[in-house]
Amino acid sequence: MEDYRIRVRFFIGIIAGVLVLLGLRLVQLQLVESQVYSGTSRDNAVREVRVQPARGVIYDRNGTLMVDNEPIYTVTVTPQYFEEDRIGLLADLLGVPDSVVVRKLRAARQWSAFRPSPLFQEVPFEVYSRLQENLYRLPGVSFEIRQKRRYQTAARAAHALGYIREISQRQLEAARSRGYRQGDLIGQTGLEKYYEDAMRGTMGSEFVLVNRFGREVMPFRNGLEDTPPLSGYDLYLTLDHRVQALAESLFVNKRGGAVAIDPQTGEILALVSKPDYDPDLFSRTVPPEVWTYLTRSPERPMFNRATMSGMPPGSTWKPFMALLALQEGLIRPTETVFCPGYHPLGRGRMFRCMHVHGAINVKQAIQHSCNTFFFEMMLRTDVNTFSDYAHRFGFGETAPTDLLEQAPGLIPDSAYFNRTYPRGWTVGYSINLGIGQGDMTVTPLQLANYVATIANGGTLHAPHLVRKLVRAETGEERRPDLPPPRPTGIRPEHFQLVREGMRLVMEQGTGAHLQIPNIPSGAKTGTAQNAGKDHSIFIMFAPFENPQIAIGIVVENAGFGGTAAGPIASFMAEQYLTGQIATTPQRRWLLNRTLNLRSDPIPGTEPSTDLAGD
Amino acid sequence: MRTTPWYRTMDYVTPLLWLALVAIGLTAIYSTTHGPASEFLLETVRQNFSRQLTWAGICVVGIVVALLLPVRFYQTGAFFIYAGSLLLLVMALLFGREINGAKSWLTLGPMNLQVSELAKVGTVLAVAQLLASKRPGADNIRYAVMAVVLIVIPGVLIVLQNDTGTALVFFGLIPIMLFWSGLPLSTVLLVVSPALAGYIAIWSKLAGALFAVAFTLGMYLTTRERHLTIFAGLFTAAPVAALSLLLTRVLQPYQVARIRSFTNPEAEEFRQGVGFHLVQSKAAIGSGGLTGKGFMQGTQTRGGFVPEQSTDFIFSVIGEEFGFLGTALVLLLFAFLLIRLVRLGVQMKHPFGTLVAVGAAGIYLIHIFINIGMVTGLLPVIGIPLPFLSYGGSALLANTGMLAIVLSLYMRRDDFSIYGY
Repeated sequence: MEDYRIRVRFFIGIIAGVLVLLGLRLVQLQLVESQVYSGTSRDNAVREVRVQPARGVIYDRNGTLMVDNEPIYTVTVTPQYFEEDRIGLLADLLGVPDSVVVRKLRAARQWSAFRPSPLFQEVPFEVYSRLQENLYRLPGVSFEIRQKRRYQTAARAAHALGYIREISQRQLEAARSRGYRQGDLIGQTGLEKYYEDAMRGTMGSEFVLVNRFGREVMPFRNGLEDTPPLSGYDLYLTLDHRVQALAESLFVNKRGGAVAIDPQTGEILALVSKPDYDPDLFSRTVPPEVWTYLTRSPERPMFNRATMSGMPPGSTWKPFMALLALQEGLIRPTETVFCPGYHPLGRGRMFRCMHVHGAINVKQAIQHSCNTFFFEMMLRTDVNTFSDYAHRFGFGETAPTDLLEQAPGLIPDSAYFNRTYPRGWTVGYSINLGIGQGDMTVTPLQLANYVATIANGGTLHAPHLVRKLVRAETGEERRPDLPPPRPTGIRPEHFQLVREGMRLVMEQGTGAHLQIPNIPSGAKTGTAQNAGKDHSIFIMFAPFENPQIAIGIVVENAGFGGTAAGPIASFMAEQYLTGQIATTPQRRWLLNRTLNLRSDPIPGTEPSTDLAGD
Repeated sequence: MRTTPWYRTMDYVTPLLWLALVAIGLTAIYSTTHGPASEFLLETVRQNFSRQLTWAGICVVGIVVALLLPVRFYQTGAFFIYAGSLLLLVMALLFGREINGAKSWLTLGPMNLQVSELAKVGTVLAVAQLLASKRPGADNIRYAVMAVVLIVIPGVLIVLQNDTGTALVFFGLIPIMLFWSGLPLSTVLLVVSPALAGYIAIWSKLAGALFAVAFTLGMYLTTRERHLTIFAGLFTAAPVAALSLLLTRVLQPYQVARIRSFTNPEAEEFRQGVGFHLVQSKAAIGSGGLTGKGFMQGTQTRGGFVPEQSTDFIFSVIGEEFGFLGTALVLLLFAFLLIRLVRLGVQMKHPFGTLVAVGAAGIYLIHIFINIGMVTGLLPVIGIPLPFLSYGGSALLANTGMLAIVLSLYMRRDDFSIYGY
């Protein structure tokens, strides 16, 4: 009996012992080491899903929306969870035959049964909402919503704005640490690239529970730990979308570049490069033939001619030479040079002038575009002084600004000549520089900024495209860092004299037919010789008093400066200053003629059809 | 001859404990099969909750029926029930359905019955009847051997059905029944010692060897009996040696991995394979912390990371969603229930009643120890359910049946013929 009682106690002891042992194990797991297991469990089951912020939108200088975003809806299906008897319903909602759904479902299953694959790309919003209402009847069906750029105005400004595109493998390697992932969109050129970090915004996070197949099951802790995305900064551009659109339309069938600048601030009012492309092309797979055209065509539609195509400025260079000569004291304002129709150095065979101008002063030389006068000025100076002054106007260098794609152009100095002509060179090699020819190139952007500097009396501003960046959600505002304006160091009265010469061009000279009705202006025409028809070059500022717009423009293989480039500049300035194009018979005739004018095909090539969206 | 009405002799605590455990089990099963995550489950798994609820209802009926039956029914019927169980086991072996690799299921109309679960009831009754019929002064060893044979026959049949986990419960029952048959404690310890030595040897061969030496020495010092000491040495050293040999020479690597994985499931070699269950189960329980993540809020449960979470791993669901408070409550309920059973058995003052009660308690204890030991990573993964909590109709029915029989015997304890102690 005593033994029996011991047995009972012993057995109860065993029961208690086992349960206490298990209890201690639970204390260890749940109380002591809980942190460790919480980590394991979280790594397991909680996945962070990135929520894309809305990319910053783009406004023009007057607050007109130029670019915003639109969602595109892609129907996806996870074959494992899809029920075959719903094929009919899905096909009805999508408005396609059953067989199409069956075929696509099979393809999706072949790729992966457990992961969602796209079934229909870019379905219209009505289809999206119709499906959304019926989603509960369609297990396994879901959506992928992506953002796409939507271009709101007639202005394309492709080379200024640039484009965004799915991040490439190479870019991804570099940008992964900044939070980019496969499939993200990233600015590839232009402002979209320059302001990528600001416009992209801050990625948000949603935490979702996944099951052991990696499938999202439900929000984690009802979204308590989620952080919403923060939209990117909106860009407020300096561009005027109407001037931009007008310039683009006037450039039809032409190649070249044009830049319009506010001379008081350096704000770029329009930046045109033609041929161009439709930035929207890159929101989906680019068809191969279009891709070939974009990248291989000799017309180079992706190339930003406005900031990168360098060519000799021709006669548009003459105001510069006049300023150099006046400031250096090489000539007095009233002093004349005799033009016999050529410069004596060339003995009548080389260094010729267009006319016999006789005795001619600075102002007249600009008005009549006298070569002899400016050959003489070049003879009176040297290439290093020439180079020094050119740099004061921003030539031979890229502007320190938000324009990513820029070429410095070429401004020679003695070092350049020594390098290029190692056997020696004489003044005959450099004298052509006096009339903007020979070993030098400038870009339309540089030309525009140069006229702007003449127009404002000698201050070189950094040309720029963005006025401010605003984050709409918070009202935060940022302004781009601009380098301070640079004085040219040339006396204002010299600028006054040169501007008057340029006014004479518009009133009595080669630009007389380009006058904006009732608005006096200054300009200079130019041509650059090349293998084909001359490049047409034009610089202009308006109004003459207190100038508000300065334009540099090149139209390739289109003839004399006043023929092709001039009218476009004139209309751009008129549009900017008056908000419209006057309907006088004279202007209408000029408009029609400009629209009908074409660039000759690039020498040595056949004309190609524009595949990029015109 | 009954002197007091039945409701005065009825034990009310035990049914309440049963109800509490079943309710907790149903709650956890509901959590695994409902909520937004459940749409990714198989249709059959989603019905687990409603099916278990139905089974609980059937069990209530079973309890009432068991309470209506007289003591003599269980005593005289014990061997018939046992024989019936064996017959069912053989039938399952011959015509049964195979589920999860074990051929231990018989289809009966709409139900699938796992006969190995039901066989526990018959075995406990038969062993109790055998040992209770022992005359005072009879040869203890003979009865002990007969009892072992009674247990081993269904055990072997179940091994043949390829259900090692359930068979293990039967073999675990052997020392418990021997203990109550009147064998000296030292002998019972001797029977348990190989298992202990083997378990320790899985962790570390050295520790196993040290245990063998200590056990043998302890046996000698307490009993001073030569035979017992020699057996003690043999029973502990042999499993250690055999396991070392098995683990290094005989078994295939995957089998070794299965046995060893619980000692370090996170190890690279295990974590994607056999260790996966354990890593996930420990993560579920551990991450529950003190108060748990809340009902229907367990991430491991929602995501289905713990396999078999409504059956064998139900405890990890409780651990994750209700934390230490939940798991401790379950352990406490079990402790109350088992101790209560032993006390009911003692109060019956008849060896049959006592042996049925402690047999039932013993079976529950083995289940609890192996199951919770498994889900918390103390023991290798051995697939047996947690009594009253795990999803599974046959197990719930069998476990409840044993409980009901104990209640019935206790209620009618005055009906036992007066002999015995």
